[in-house]
Amino acid sequence: MKAKKTKFEGVFEINGKFATVNLVPGFKSSNEELVKVDGVEYRIWDYFTSKPAAAFKKGLKIFPLGNGNKVLYLGLAEAKTASFFSDIVGNNGIIYGVELSERSLREAVRVCERRGNMIPILADARRTELYEDSILDKVDCLYIDVASPDQAAITIRNAQQFLKNKGWVMLAIKSQSIDVVKPPKQVYKECLQELEKYFEILDKVELDPLEKAHMFVVMKLKK
Amino acid sequence: MRAFIATTIIGVFGLNENKKILLYKPFPRDPEKIAEKLKLSEIEFIEEERFVRGELNKSGYDEVRKGDAIISEFVKSNLRKLALEKKFVRDQSEFNQLLTKVNIQLAKVQIKKAIGRGSLIIHANGAVEELDKAINIFVERLREFYSMHFPEMDKAVESNEKFAKLVEKFGRRENIDEVELKLLASKSMGADFKDEDIQMSQTFAAEINRLYKLRQDAAVYLEKVLKEIAPNFTELATPMLSAKLISKAGGLERLSKMASSTIQLLGAEKALFRFLQSKGKSSSPRFGLLYNHPLVMNAPESHKGKIARVLAAKLSLAAKIDYYSKEYKADKLKQDLQQKVKGILSSK
Ligand SMILES: C[S@@+](CC[C@H](N)C(=O)[O-])C[C@H]1O[C@@H](n2cnc3c(N)ncnc32)[C@H](O)[C@@H]1O
Repeated sequence: MKAKKTKFEGVFEINGKFATVNLVPGFKSSNEELVKVDGVEYRIWDYFTSKPAAAFKKGLKIFPLGNGNKVLYLGLAEAKTASFFSDIVGNNGIIYGVELSERSLREAVRVCERRGNMIPILADARRTELYEDSILDKVDCLYIDVASPDQAAITIRNAQQFLKNKGWVMLAIKSQSIDVVKPPKQVYKECLQELEKYFEILDKVELDPLEKAHMFVVMKLKK
Repeated sequence: MRAFIATTIIGVFGLNENKKILLYKPFPRDPEKIAEKLKLSEIEFIEEERFVRGELNKSGYDEVRKGDAIISEFVKSNLRKLALEKKFVRDQSEFNQLLTKVNIQLAKVQIKKAIGRGSLIIHANGAVEELDKAINIFVERLREFYSMHFPEMDKAVESNEKFAKLVEKFGRRENIDEVELKLLASKSMGADFKDEDIQMSQTFAAEINRLYKLRQDAAVYLEKVLKEIAPNFTELATPMLSAKLISKAGGLERLSKMASSTIQLLGAEKALFRFLQSKGKSSSPRFGLLYNHPLVMNAPESHKGKIARVLAAKLSLAAKIDYYSKEYKADKLKQDLQQKVKGILSSK
């Protein structure tokens, strides 16, 4: 077995599957496979259940994450996807994860306790004033997966407050949660138009059929 | 002279107006203790803050402020650097470890708080409902008991609460000083009670009245909790119905995730089941608990279904607002709702 480098920092390919080097050997976020190659333990990053991996599979060209990065992650849920980010940014990086549901966050806390670079925050991502004190750093990258109708507004507000100049943004747009009636293409178009006022959109892929009616967008704050 | 205090995960800083750090009092290197101190610092001057304030006072700073936004922002943005300078940590990775551990402690406290308060509605509502049931059973017994002595009062006094109050206060039927009852008492066909019989019925009635008081307290408490946790939903639904709907749904979170058609039928599960079993032979239920909402109750029969539908839609929105932000928008929601109801009532 071989672990091939991909064009993305910290992301590998093993037997056609994506993987990261496990920052905490033995750790699993849920039921992902652990694979040992040349004495290094990797975690398989399933593209059926995690949106960034689905985006890789669907031909994403830019994935702006690297060692030492500071990340603000909105919609942490049980911290499954975020745990792969944590592998990539390593011990000198940090992930601030904001989640609204206390039940989900309770699961996320279990993950964070074992990692050393992940911070769980119980808050509504619309109300930055409730968690601004917890975010010490201007972040290199903002990731948003909140599946909520006002995603664009949440993205803009958090980017303006916490992102470095020209910092990166990754956003998973869920068409269904913005408008159930309009066709997804229409929803994406309107959402992107709104975002273009503040961001330079550099890459986007639709995640169908891996994630139904989702689009993954990579962009940069204009200022 | 004015000085400032800024409290961080590595300890307390004292600064002057030019953002120069004058003083630093480190925290113990224990994430749990640090988290505790940070929480406490939100409501009072903690030990380290008092120390720094005292030292600043001694050096001639007579006004010492805590929590200034600009100063806090300044210290926060330099904290990684300061932690190394002050040798609180050796490197960034150690700082991250500490930051993570402290925040995990804080998150745990928050989670505990959030989960705790949400279930209060369910428990308080359960208490009210069970008290209602218990009171009903006891009042039934009291009525039968006392009817041996004064059977005419059972029909004459419909209110259970009033019945129990009268028995406790007056005991014997001859003592009751209400015109109508006096008359009935004078011609009563009931048996004479011995003193001990009367005493027993009075003690029993007193106990029931205590339960009424308890029920009243629980209802006031429930309303307070409802207004804290679900202000919009409660304003729209009325407190009693709000509590029943939230309990039936299994909490505000679950309610906030329900489709409005599900909310419309909450409490109609049995009727819905019957409808599904009958394969369309019986009619589909139009509402469950919502039947008790004034807007539905007071509407003509032919409009009830439609009104329940628009009510459910607004309630669903209100539950989402309460669960996600608690921003108070009930006035606007109520206005919209009344507009819609008016429209329905004026249509044929
Ligand atoms: C699709 S899930 C995220 C899945 C996660 N990113 C993963 O891949 O492991 C969306 C999450 O966003 C949370 N959420 C929704 N609205 C939110 C808000 N306003 N603020 C914070 N979190 C929110 C939900 O509770 C849910 O856990």
